[in-house]
Amino acid sequence: MNLFGGYRGLPGVWDELFDGEGKPRLGFGRAIDALDSRTALEFGRCQTLAERALLNQGVTFSVYNDDRGTEKIFPVCLLPRLISAEEWRKVEEGLQQRLRALSMFLDDVYGEQRILAEGRIPRELVLGAKQYLPILRGTSAPGGVRIHVSGIDLIRDPSGTFRVLEDNLRTPSGVSYVLENRVVTKRVMPRTVDVARVQRVEDYPARLAETLVSVSPVSPEESTIVVLTPGPYNSAYFEHSFLARTMGLELVEAADLFVDDDRVWLRTTSGPRRVHVVYRRTDEAFLDPEVFRKDSMLGVPGIMRAWAKGNVALANAPGNGVADDKAVYAYVPEMVRFYLAEEPLLEQVRTWVCFREDDRQYVLEHLAEMVVKAVDEAGGYGMLIGPQASAAERDAFRAKIQAEPRSYVAQRLIELSTCPTWDKVSGHVVPRRVDLRPYSLFGKNGAWVLPGGLTRVALVEGSYVVNSSQGGGSKDTWVMKP
Amino acid sequence: MISRVADHCFWFGRYLERTESTARLLQVTASLALDSELTPEQCWQPVVITAGEQERFAELCGPFAAADGDAVQRYLTLDERVPVSLRRSIAAARENARSSRDVISLEAWEIVNELHLYLMSPAAREDFEEHPYGFYRRIRREAQLCLGLLRATMLHDTPLYFCWLGVLLERVGQTARILDVQYHAFLAAESAGRGAYPIVEVSLWLSLLRACYGFEPFMKIHRGIVSAQSVAAFLIFEPRFPRGVRHGLRRVRDLLLAVRPTAPGVPVPRAYARIEALEEWIDGQNATRLDARAVHEILTRVVDETHALCDLVQSELIAAAPQSQSQSQSQGQTQMQSQFPSNGGA
Repeated sequence: MNLFGGYRGLPGVWDELFDGEGKPRLGFGRAIDALDSRTALEFGRCQTLAERALLNQGVTFSVYNDDRGTEKIFPVCLLPRLISAEEWRKVEEGLQQRLRALSMFLDDVYGEQRILAEGRIPRELVLGAKQYLPILRGTSAPGGVRIHVSGIDLIRDPSGTFRVLEDNLRTPSGVSYVLENRVVTKRVMPRTVDVARVQRVEDYPARLAETLVSVSPVSPEESTIVVLTPGPYNSAYFEHSFLARTMGLELVEAADLFVDDDRVWLRTTSGPRRVHVVYRRTDEAFLDPEVFRKDSMLGVPGIMRAWAKGNVALANAPGNGVADDKAVYAYVPEMVRFYLAEEPLLEQVRTWVCFREDDRQYVLEHLAEMVVKAVDEAGGYGMLIGPQASAAERDAFRAKIQAEPRSYVAQRLIELSTCPTWDKVSGHVVPRRVDLRPYSLFGKNGAWVLPGGLTRVALVEGSYVVNSSQGGGSKDTWVMKP
Repeated sequence: MISRVADHCFWFGRYLERTESTARLLQVTASLALDSELTPEQCWQPVVITAGEQERFAELCGPFAAADGDAVQRYLTLDERVPVSLRRSIAAARENARSSRDVISLEAWEIVNELHLYLMSPAAREDFEEHPYGFYRRIRREAQLCLGLLRATMLHDTPLYFCWLGVLLERVGQTARILDVQYHAFLAAESAGRGAYPIVEVSLWLSLLRACYGFEPFMKIHRGIVSAQSVAAFLIFEPRFPRGVRHGLRRVRDLLLAVRPTAPGVPVPRAYARIEALEEWIDGQNATRLDARAVHEILTRVVDETHALCDLVQSELIAAAPQSQSQSQSQGQTQMQSQFPSNGGA
């Protein structure tokens, strides 16, 4: 029997590859036929080969809480998620629009605060966000860009509409897996990729380098650009070294840098060398012990002073967290209207902001139907999935919401779309829920979106949680050529 | 280049070379022990000494374990408790490579990563127990492949120079240690067996040459005439032999100059003067009149000086490197000296 023989989606859920009658979706016939030319046994072999290749190449993430520094491969399912060229064009335009608005919002919040003055977003909500940094008020980002790299998470609802689930504007990770998944897929299923006609992703590092150089305070030829990592024990270290290698930049740790005369310098074997752009993958809280956490060992004392003086560009700019706060998220459509005088092209998920009294009342009354999220948690933590939770868990969240309404938002449980996924145990293809994280770059010359992005998949049956820390895996995302 | 990364490159080279030479020494000694006239202890004790591990070995395996070739091999291959075991050496090489992946080529990285995964796997233990020759061969080949890939795939620039400085300083030190320890042990065995087994001595010197990859090059020059003196002279003085002391030191000097070219107004690093003095001193030794005492004296000085050079490379050329890691300064120099008091020849 062929690979997809007997595959059935879930009732009431959008499937990424097959329609309600089990037929390939429009435009996917060629790719699906090519995948389907294998038996399950043959596909299982491809899958094993791919996993071994990733392990040997060290495409791994470090497991936290393990002092032996154990590394694992990010589980990958070789069955791709497909997106048509036309659909992708809409997503791309929507993301570019959203990023323009979010950038203007950040400039505004750290500047005049017009949007607050005009009452379009509650002042308290914005200024009360944990990630709002009052100290940055009045600073402007070198090069005029704040959101150099973003990963805005999308999901697809049962009607097939893409919706923004959350904005990641600080240090989104995962793009290296997109590129490595593609390399491995091309290696183990070459003919399939050829027949399907897929848009390429490998130019991401070159585009990123271009973005970084575009914000340098000096000319491109004179610019020294580095990638700053917390170090080999960070869970995303592979990605940091991958990006440095593929861009031809140096990968530095905080101790390699120092600040003198409000300029940033690199300690080299031939003496100090001036640094102009830092693509930093260190969390803001650890970036500069002079400004943020005093106990940070990962920080570069004085780097914020150098940034504020315009002597070094930081990508992403500090302070972006106020715009990807989960409560502020509810107001992004308003930002689009306010700053761009346009209607938002991308839908998002209706959100009840517990800070607002009416919303809070509604949430508390309908807790069993809602998904409640802490505004400043990520990775699928600090979350209540009402329909799946016990009465005791719901009561615990009720108390938390009442104690700290600003810290919680709620949404209805959305039936995330599914994608056919390889189940190693049974040796069959089964429907599993997915989301999509497209990566966007924003330089002096505007925004560019990597075709596709990281499709994350909840490998556990019935699960809605796609995070790698909680049983999630990844898929290659194929945007078809037009 | 970044000082911290230069430090990782240097240590990557050292650990990689150490892995390769340890695997080689174990393989050669296992072969020697099969049919030589030596007792097992005479074969294996020098290996433990060369690794600088007598104390820990006696403590972990018992005072008489040096007579047990299997115990010595297990100790120096897969034992997690032993910093110089093959498993730990490759893990350390791999860790240094992982921390400098923006400069180590992808090809070289993949080899060292695969070798590390292999040594951590049950398959490695099985191979070691069932077919030790194949086990050593695999490790040596992959380490050699990795060394070759460094030169064939990386820019010939500072990062590669630091890797190679590590390789060469480790190699010179290792050749000197192997020669010093084995020379002493074999001379003792030879004098004990003289007359009774005239053929014994040749097999010992051949084994020593094999442990340093010198068998065929030696034969090309000496046409089958083997003596203790000629073997020692070859390993120390032969400028064309790539694992010889003399050759290694010359290459180290070239690399030092490549890393930090001399220029007017720039202070000359002390490492240059040091290596020049050592080369001159060695050239001043009489290669045709080498007795055991002279060999030991030369080698002790070479081992001490390579240690000093490693320190100088780190303090002068890598410089300003954050002292984050406590990588083991190579195998015990002090044990070696105490093992060989000045009457050690004869």
